[in-house]
Amino acid sequence: MKGPALKIFSMLFGVFYIAAFYFDLALFRYYPEARQFHWARTDGIGVVILWYGWIVTAALASAAVAVAVPRSVAERLSPRWVWIVTALVVVVTLIYERRYFV
Amino acid sequence: MIVVLLILHGLLAVGLLGAITHQALSVLPLAAAKGPRTFIGRFRGVNAPAYATPIVVLFVVTAIGGALLYPQYRIDVRPALEDMQNAAANGVFEIKEHLIAIGLGLLPAYWQLWQQPPENGATSARRAVTLLLAFFVWWGFIVGHVLNNIRGLLP
Repeated sequence: MKGPALKIFSMLFGVFYIAAFYFDLALFRYYPEARQFHWARTDGIGVVILWYGWIVTAALASAAVAVAVPRSVAERLSPRWVWIVTALVVVVTLIYERRYFV
Repeated sequence: MIVVLLILHGLLAVGLLGAITHQALSVLPLAAAKGPRTFIGRFRGVNAPAYATPIVVLFVVTAIGGALLYPQYRIDVRPALEDMQNAAANGVFEIKEHLIAIGLGLLPAYWQLWQQPPENGATSARRAVTLLLAFFVWWGFIVGHVLNNIRGLLP
């Protein structure tokens, strides 16, 4: 992945991450008490950590799009979109996580 | 072992916080102070592009440290907070998780923006991305320290 593709990757990472979080699309799950990784939900072996899986899902999805987008299109994209989209993702995240404070 | 890792994670976070704060203040469009240079003027008068790569490295290494510590939090700390009915503490930590993850994804563009000479639109994008990362790091740092000391902080 080179210059313009990095812009696409960073712009989309937050979107895919928050989608993975909201729609429970973790690529894998880690069960720390059992010290086991599983592809699918596995009951009866303790608490689960989805955070690692969300990050990997977002990284793979945004990398795939970044590689697929033609270089000419990526070059035309203003770098402003990176921070605008990320800031919007942060705002949506903060609004959603209000559930802990009400 | 977990205590050593926690201290190391904290020390790396201090380095990251200092570096990103220097750089973030350097990109703020503040009026230049007249007369003798002020503390703020000296604080922000750094070679900001030189900070980009160390910040990327520190962010990634600190995040990896946090990821290694996370299972202990999930097994011991989070249930204790739930027992204390402290939903807000779990909430701010969950936001920290999200911001650090989003920050990891932002790093490639951040690094690229600091490697190239600023062009049309790139200066404001560089400033905004740097300020976003600084917000993520400050949130993570404060939340991490408060939760680490929460039993002493709360009655």
